[in-house]
Amino acid sequence: MQKTASKALSVITEDATSAWKALNGIICIYKPADVSCHRICNILTYKISNELNQMKCRPCGDYVQIEGDPLTQLTVVKKQNLADHPLVVGPRYNPNNLRCSWSNYLGFNTSGVLLMGLQNGTKTANLIRSNKLMRAYRVKGLLGRATDNFYKDGKVVERTTMGFIKSHHMDRLLSVIQSSHQRKMFDATGVDLQSQTAYDLAVKGQIRPVCSKTPLLYGIKCVDYQPPEFTVEIHCVNEYEMYLKALIHEIGLKLHSTAHCTGIQCIRHSYFNLDHALLQKHWTLQHIFDNLEECGNIISQHENMTNNNTIVIQ
Amino acid sequence: MLLQRFRVFLNLRQLSSIRSQELQHSQEGNSAFKEPSELDLVENETPQRSVLDECTDDISHVAPYLKPTFNFAAYVNKSHTLQELVKLNVDLSVLEKKPEVVSFILKLEFEKDVKDLVIFLSEIGVDDVGAFITKNPFILKADLDNLHVRVNYLKSKRFTNGMIASIVTRNPIWLSTNTQDIDSKLGFFQKEFQLTGKEVRALAVQQPKLITFPLQRVKLNTFVFKEEMGLRDDEVKSMLLKKPNLFMKSQANLLKTFEFLHKKMNIPIERIVEVPEVLMCRLFRIRQRHLFLDSLGRAQYNHRNPNYVSLLQLVSGSDVDFSVDVAKSSVQDFNLFLKSL
Repeated sequence: MQKTASKALSVITEDATSAWKALNGIICIYKPADVSCHRICNILTYKISNELNQMKCRPCGDYVQIEGDPLTQLTVVKKQNLADHPLVVGPRYNPNNLRCSWSNYLGFNTSGVLLMGLQNGTKTANLIRSNKLMRAYRVKGLLGRATDNFYKDGKVVERTTMGFIKSHHMDRLLSVIQSSHQRKMFDATGVDLQSQTAYDLAVKGQIRPVCSKTPLLYGIKCVDYQPPEFTVEIHCVNEYEMYLKALIHEIGLKLHSTAHCTGIQCIRHSYFNLDHALLQKHWTLQHIFDNLEECGNIISQHENMTNNNTIVIQ
Repeated sequence: MLLQRFRVFLNLRQLSSIRSQELQHSQEGNSAFKEPSELDLVENETPQRSVLDECTDDISHVAPYLKPTFNFAAYVNKSHTLQELVKLNVDLSVLEKKPEVVSFILKLEFEKDVKDLVIFLSEIGVDDVGAFITKNPFILKADLDNLHVRVNYLKSKRFTNGMIASIVTRNPIWLSTNTQDIDSKLGFFQKEFQLTGKEVRALAVQQPKLITFPLQRVKLNTFVFKEEMGLRDDEVKSMLLKKPNLFMKSQANLLKTFEFLHKKMNIPIERIVEVPEVLMCRLFRIRQRHLFLDSLGRAQYNHRNPNYVSLLQLVSGSDVDFSVDVAKSSVQDFNLFLKSL
């Protein structure tokens, strides 16, 4: 099965036209930190079009010209149409013509799994975004220092002691945060948490907010605690980078100390995890095609990625 | 962008009217450019003849004006000059992005304006004349005598023919810079870094772009090396001769890379001066590789101690070579590590 697939791909990649047509769907890439999503779009489209231009492209068309004296003899000549030559009209594939957009926006300092739609896949990317699927983050923090922008590159505004904080303090606080978010969800649905209706709702699956602005945490726990450093794993929807940074800051304050964020990594987006993600050095046409196929399979296997019908709260 | 496009549009519009005027005055011109000349039409019209009579005159030259256009493609099938430029491998699609170049190129005549230059360039040893003109189209404006003077200047400074060919091919702007400027810039490098004549020639051949690079930027990078990094004059000189590209790099990136090497990796300045290639490497690459070595406990850059990793090995080679030869691990492990950053 795999052999035939790779054979078909190698056939595609000889001819630029069929490769261009095959560029449709979702790819999963690994976004490095300190690069914006816009920049990644630009890099991807530039690299893809560059590679397509090096492949066998469409030849120039014909130019038909009538030559000679009209009173005596006229001849029809067929020449190469220079107006269609790559040196005159530019390379056959232009980065601007390749549509590319992300389905989950990751902020500048965030690294990790980023789903990108290519060509018609941008519609799928849009659907995945509007379906508010859960994402998992691993956020690193450092106790004892607060910065002005809650991140490591900010100016330190406060230093505190942190030796008294033990791992069970952290766990207790995080479980309080998690339960308050869970209660918030059920409050918004308007049912009593202790009722049968609430149970039925919970059985149906994750409860999602209808608006895309309110962040909701489904789970938060400390996976690594080596003071002063700690790592929290967060499952959430509608989050944004500043929210996660501020959450770490808040954790520091609640523990009677201070903290700032030192790294944010998205480790999972719905059914896509780090194993599917393409590293920056693998953003080449061959790898992208393999990834398109792999991601297409995952999306077709899981209908709820594009058509989610679990409970929505207002 | 839109404004620029509009300007090109206007230029072309003016140009097409200029073309038609020229052709009205001189009937020779290019046969492909057959514009209706109003004067001719007036002369040919004999008052005795009725419009209902059969027309036996050759009116095939009566054709509509060339329409205003946004690119060269509309003209290329009719213009002999443009066709010859395409044959030379000139990338017209690059040229048309600069509005002032478009009107200039369209007014050229191949036999008169371009041919001699092409012969001259191939004589001094430029292999790809098309790429040269694509990079520096205004060379076509320059006087051939001036170009000869500039080449002779280099010969007088004891540059060999091979050196001149290499310089001119790799830096097409060089020939457009006048002799006084080139002389003062070579003089600047000689004085600023105390180079011998031989070293100046070696520098010009190794990185010809540096000589025509804005001096302000070179001075800024020299400041970064001397004051911000604290290098001695002879150390800066050795870096210039080993890796001239460092003086064209953006100073902010240069300093960031240096700070990572010196402060995070604890590499002494003397070692960085010995291997200036590390400063040319992109920061994310050094950081990835250093952190990987660090996680394996192999980040040992002191050549006096065992298990030493050379700086050159750290920045050169593919990831496969690095992870197997330097880190004594596998690419799969390295990739997994990269996904944890």
